[in-house]
Amino acid sequence: MQNTLLELQDLTVRFGGLCAVNKLNMKVNTGEAVGLIGPNGAGKTTAFNLVVGVYKPSEGKVIFDNEDITGLPPNEICKKGIGRTFQVVKPFGKMTVLQNIMAGAFVNTAKTQEARQIASEVMEKMGLQSKRDKLAASLTIPERKRLEMAKALATRPKLMLLDEVLAGLNPTEIQDAVLLIKSMIKDGVTILMIEHVLQATMAICERIVVLNYGQKLAEGTPEQVTGNEEVIKAYLGDDYA
Amino acid sequence: MIEKNNKKTIILWAGLAVILLLIPMFVTKPYFLHVIIMCLLWAYLATSWNIIGGFAGQLSLGHGIYTAVGAYVTVMLFNTLGLSPWLGMFIAGAVAVLISLVIGFPTFGLRGAYYALATVAISEGVIVLINSIGDVGKFHVGGAEGLILKTVGNSWAAFQFSSKVPYYYIILILLVLGIIAAKKIKDSRLGYYLVALREDEDAAAAIGINVRNNKLIAGAISAFMTALGGVFYAMLIRYLEPNAVAGAVSMSTQMVFMTIVGGAGTVFGPVIGGILLSLVSEFIRFYLGGQLMGLHLFVYGLIVLIIIIKQPSGIIALFDKLKERLSREQH
Amino acid sequence: MGFLSVVANGLSMGAIYGLIALGLTLIFGIMRIINFAQGALLMLSMMVSYWLWAATGINPYILVIIVGPIMFAVGYICERCLIKPVLDEQKDVREPVAVLLLTAALAIVLENAALMVFGADYVMAKTSFSTSTIALGPVTVSAARFYGLIIALLAAGIFYLFLHRTQVGCNIRATGQDRNAAALMGIDVPKTYAIAFGIGTALLSVAAVVLIPFYYVHPSVGAVFMTKAFIVVVLGGLGSIPGAVLGGVIIGLIESIGAQYMAATLTAMLVYLVFLLVLFVKPTGIFGSPYDW
Repeated sequence: MQNTLLELQDLTVRFGGLCAVNKLNMKVNTGEAVGLIGPNGAGKTTAFNLVVGVYKPSEGKVIFDNEDITGLPPNEICKKGIGRTFQVVKPFGKMTVLQNIMAGAFVNTAKTQEARQIASEVMEKMGLQSKRDKLAASLTIPERKRLEMAKALATRPKLMLLDEVLAGLNPTEIQDAVLLIKSMIKDGVTILMIEHVLQATMAICERIVVLNYGQKLAEGTPEQVTGNEEVIKAYLGDDYA
Repeated sequence: MIEKNNKKTIILWAGLAVILLLIPMFVTKPYFLHVIIMCLLWAYLATSWNIIGGFAGQLSLGHGIYTAVGAYVTVMLFNTLGLSPWLGMFIAGAVAVLISLVIGFPTFGLRGAYYALATVAISEGVIVLINSIGDVGKFHVGGAEGLILKTVGNSWAAFQFSSKVPYYYIILILLVLGIIAAKKIKDSRLGYYLVALREDEDAAAAIGINVRNNKLIAGAISAFMTALGGVFYAMLIRYLEPNAVAGAVSMSTQMVFMTIVGGAGTVFGPVIGGILLSLVSEFIRFYLGGQLMGLHLFVYGLIVLIIIIKQPSGIIALFDKLKERLSREQH
Repeated sequence: MGFLSVVANGLSMGAIYGLIALGLTLIFGIMRIINFAQGALLMLSMMVSYWLWAATGINPYILVIIVGPIMFAVGYICERCLIKPVLDEQKDVREPVAVLLLTAALAIVLENAALMVFGADYVMAKTSFSTSTIALGPVTVSAARFYGLIIALLAAGIFYLFLHRTQVGCNIRATGQDRNAAALMGIDVPKTYAIAFGIGTALLSVAAVVLIPFYYVHPSVGAVFMTKAFIVVVLGGLGSIPGAVLGGVIIGLIESIGAQYMAATLTAMLVYLVFLLVLFVKPTGIFGSPYDW
């Protein structure tokens, strides 16, 4: 019996007349890696922002770890154990790589020494130790993406929301990143990831949820989902179904 | 290699400490000692502003409010109730903290420029207020005429000295404490949080940082420290002229200028900027003050303008570059 | 003075505040820079207008044809030679504080340069309509203020049309919304910055020519209007054009009506009080959105 870590119940948000996420129901079990895919504008990032409290849902609930966390502000939700990365990475430019990660590690400790310890471990795991004292603003794109994950990882999340961490990377870099994410899963972090690079997503995730127009279109194993006519239609248009 | 460097730094600091302690023995002319005291006071005020303006990146353009609160509250308590300024300064500091929270609460939830504009408007309002209030109950405020500190002669309890030397040591200690506080904050969780939220508020919230609360804390610390600077100013000058204690040109913007010119967000930048700009301003006033009206401020503004254009990240960035070059040459 | 006349006076002063705030809000909206030299540049405009009037005797309102381009050039050059270098160096800094301080230093330089050149005297362009009044039905208003109101509103309207109907105006708005996207669309962003700064400064020349027939010019006159303009933009919402005009009118009305019924300092306090109230109730101003910047 797996236990549910995150559950979205009828999650809905409207911006003016637009219903960006519409009665979304889904579950993520502890230890799982779930992919969230869908065409541009399907509401994936909005769904993330609803979970982490950037937007308040118009209706519905977010249950995390058997607790209703709907409508809590982002910093509280982080403390509950949900880490997130941003689609457009947001490094703290004028801080070094280590300081960036330390800023995340401070959630669990007030002691600078301990935070440095935690951050160093995360930094090593993410392969950033050679950049330790570089300013984040000077990093390359793949490095920034890794830093983005490292910052979130340093908060010791139970659940990690990854928003297109593979986008913009070349095939070798994607391979490296996939290994990193897999090692995160091995360390016991549950993953929910938005991704456009489908192959990589399938290599990581056991289960995939497809969104379209803010609604759940399909759900299942990677094979089930890619075979689904509705999904193909949504991605490629009616002609290909 | 590292140890050798450490030793060098220790010797350097010890040397500096000895020089600072001995200054009053060599600088015997009250005018020159007064200039040095003002330099240290400005360095301290810039250091105080830097906590909220530099570390947290919240551009307060109304810190004159806090110098005024420090100065007025302490002097009023002393003049009317005879309360020692050494105690009065803590009450003044507490009032400043309260005011910083009142200002910060509606504005810190918003981003960037609103806070800057709001602080300008609020501080202008405070100046109008001080200028128009003659008395509050039995406390004399003085309105536009200003407020004169009751003098009682040489007395430690009353924070009044006939010689400039005690003032020098007091402001030196205050500055050192201010620098230590800044350093401690910078290396603590609060410091990391402030820089993080300055760089990106959304990303800061995503890693669990309560953006508004941390801004409020930084604002309160900064207000408290600034108020103590105001107390010192009041005790040194003994006459509070509203526009001088609280004014935008004479107080609020000066702190910002000095911090930016020295290097915002660093521990020693504001100290360097404070000392440098107050020296420049005093020097210009000394040589050009009596001549054409406006000339010395014109030159002062021009110098600040040129420094900002040539060195927008502050003078301390020059030191960093120098250090980098030196270490490269050693390898 | 009757109540309606007081309202009319408030309206005209408010429209002028709005005009000054318009330049501020434009420069902020496009460049994300609070221009602390706005007051000093207003003073410069007033000085230039006054001396041109004194030298030629031409109606100050007509002088805007000369003062406008001069101030546009001043603003354009300031942006190119002073602000741009710092802005370029501080590209990856989120809030370009150094730029803001630069404009503050510029204000000090300008004010004291004026003090050196013109002295601390108070001067005013005493035109034929400076002291005359106009009767509009039951309302009697100062002629200079009435013309001021009309011209200020006209200028705000032309400015609005310029932003919405011309290519340059469109470039400016696009740059304000997203400078990167604008650059990708082939808009020369640095040039647009300079133009926006120039226009923000040129707007001051209109305020200047309508002010000098009834308002004293002196080197620190800018500071008075500067704080008002700040309050106006926060009231109306930073970056909002209707907000600037409306905010200006609100402040103008509070001042003139307040002055009628209470002491001058109390009126000044009332302005700040209203400002604080708005800040607490709707901190983004009347037309502002909290997510814009």
